[in-house]
Amino acid sequence: MGTRTIIDMPLNRAEGDLEIRVEVDDGVVTDAWSAGTMYRGFENIMTGRGALDGLVITPRICGICTTSHLTAAVLALESLLGVQPPDQAIRLRNVALMTEHVQSDIRQAVLMYMVDFANAAHAGNPLHEEAVRRFSPLKGDKCINVIRETKKVLEIIAIIGGQWPHSSFMVPGGVVHFPERSDIIRCRHILQRYRGWYEHQVLGCSIERWRDIGSTDQLYAWCEENASQNDSIVGFFLRFCRSAGLDAIGMGAGGYLSFGGLDMPRKTRVKGSRGKLIPAGFHHGGKGHRFDQARIAEHIASSWFEGYDGGLHPSEGLTRPYASGNEGGRYSWAKAPRYDGHPAETGPLAEMMVAGNELFADLTATIGPSAMVRELARLVRPAFLLEAIELWLEEIQQNDKTEFYVPPLDIPDGSGVGLIQAARGALGHWVSISRGRIDRYQIVTPTSWNGSPRDSAGRRGPWEEALIGTAVRDPANPVEVGHVIRSFDPCLVCSVHTLTAGRSLGRAVFGV
Amino acid sequence: MTRIVCIGNSLIPGDAAGSHVYERLLRAGLPHGVELVEGGLAGLNLLPFFDDGRRVVLVDTVSGLAASGDVELFDCAPALGRTDGAYYGHGGGLSCLFGVLPAVADGPLPEILLVGMERPAGESAVQTAADMCLDLAWGGRSLEPRPLS
Repeated sequence: MGTRTIIDMPLNRAEGDLEIRVEVDDGVVTDAWSAGTMYRGFENIMTGRGALDGLVITPRICGICTTSHLTAAVLALESLLGVQPPDQAIRLRNVALMTEHVQSDIRQAVLMYMVDFANAAHAGNPLHEEAVRRFSPLKGDKCINVIRETKKVLEIIAIIGGQWPHSSFMVPGGVVHFPERSDIIRCRHILQRYRGWYEHQVLGCSIERWRDIGSTDQLYAWCEENASQNDSIVGFFLRFCRSAGLDAIGMGAGGYLSFGGLDMPRKTRVKGSRGKLIPAGFHHGGKGHRFDQARIAEHIASSWFEGYDGGLHPSEGLTRPYASGNEGGRYSWAKAPRYDGHPAETGPLAEMMVAGNELFADLTATIGPSAMVRELARLVRPAFLLEAIELWLEEIQQNDKTEFYVPPLDIPDGSGVGLIQAARGALGHWVSISRGRIDRYQIVTPTSWNGSPRDSAGRRGPWEEALIGTAVRDPANPVEVGHVIRSFDPCLVCSVHTLTAGRSLGRAVFGV
Repeated sequence: MTRIVCIGNSLIPGDAAGSHVYERLLRAGLPHGVELVEGGLAGLNLLPFFDDGRRVVLVDTVSGLAASGDVELFDCAPALGRTDGAYYGHGGGLSCLFGVLPAVADGPLPEILLVGMERPAGESAVQTAADMCLDLAWGGRSLEPRPLS
């Protein structure tokens, strides 16, 4: 007779509070529940405030994606106003947002994902000793190296936005400040340094060489091509994942969502698609579909909210906490967003799939949308963003005497929506204004998509589904579950951070 | 030269004390050369503030370091470089920062003090912390810092 185990696993290395419960039969996950254990309620905080208050409050939703929330908030107001900011403002906004992405991608990959390669559960892996040297929490040489370099690149956002995090430099009609020419030159130098480090340490080759890779076979051949690539962070990542079987777990269900992001200036040398650098779309059933935000609905059947059955579009959404009733059926403070009725995965892999990237199309076709493939997409996304940042900084410098702000009219009554791709995926802000006040504000974050609980039809959310079939060798140290969940880069909400006596941080962690 | 960095989440009452101190210091005004920073939710993202040699005064809630509601001044030097049990996460705070600071700082480390408000930190603690910061900003040191350990 087989053994059946329930594992409750706190994943507090994620933003805020996230707990995963998995049912394990004979060493294999047979069911999973993802619980956001903290009520957010930002939507209710916003109601009744001034029309512009979202520009100050929403960047404080998250200490990591602060520029993403600011961008979504300002785009929501601009869609209501019907204004488009000047090219220089678009470039400055994009540079700040992309800088946030390229530091977040590498910090998450090395400090939050590859740190688990040093987990004692992998002690039998021939690469474990090397993994410990590289990735031990806050000690590994690659961890220290990543912290040092990502610290510097964030100066770009501070220069453009006046501060980071929690800047509010974007306003309807543009940005509040244009940097001095010397500041732009400094940004370019910082970026050049970061790109050099990224190519040398993370890829082990030039960005141009990396972008030549178009298939799974070419990827594996690239890894063995020379010592530099084999030993790079990406090279080691691939070798470790394959040796530990991470290329075969965490398979996604196949629906990929991108809201699209990074508006294109009217005149630019950067090449985009349909007005954006990151295209919008829904990839499902093996083909791409045009994105229509009207097809989004949020379900609350398994969430601690009340007020409706089935799904509601975010512009009509309700956020009424209800922490009792239907015990056992409701298990999360996160809602369950669905696109056209389907659960949808979002993030860098979804961006690659929607954009039709050859390498990731082949990887998902040949080995499947595994934890390794999902995390690889994040690790190499900067290779697709850094060149655009360079070009836009150059264009900002060349056009430094042109306007960066067009004063808009007073904000009228009406509704607006701001949709972007944040570092972790599709982020949407829906706002409704009445008599100069916020009448309704709904936010759907990337982790709401990826970490959603079951919907009204009982369908699991993306990472709940991706856990099914995962082999767990040691229920006391279910590192495999962590590998799957963290490949989605979970980020529920910023929460309390407190220095505690006798230990480093007052939070339980899924330990090494 | 001093930099005061207030840390806290203004949207979570239990963690908002540092943000409230920031608002009071902003209203009170600080002497020339003293920089006031809203540290917000940042952990490792505060690292650049330790790079230019200025003395750094951090303001945050603490847990288990003092009597409930008390405010104490700590010398952070003993905590620097300690990484035991620390993990970097999106919620990673001062302990992560202290752990890696010696390894990633550009140049010599400055003097680092912490004005710690033991949780729960109410109105009285916020005012005491603000007064302590003002005292430090104006060059006084009415309290000897306790080693943070």
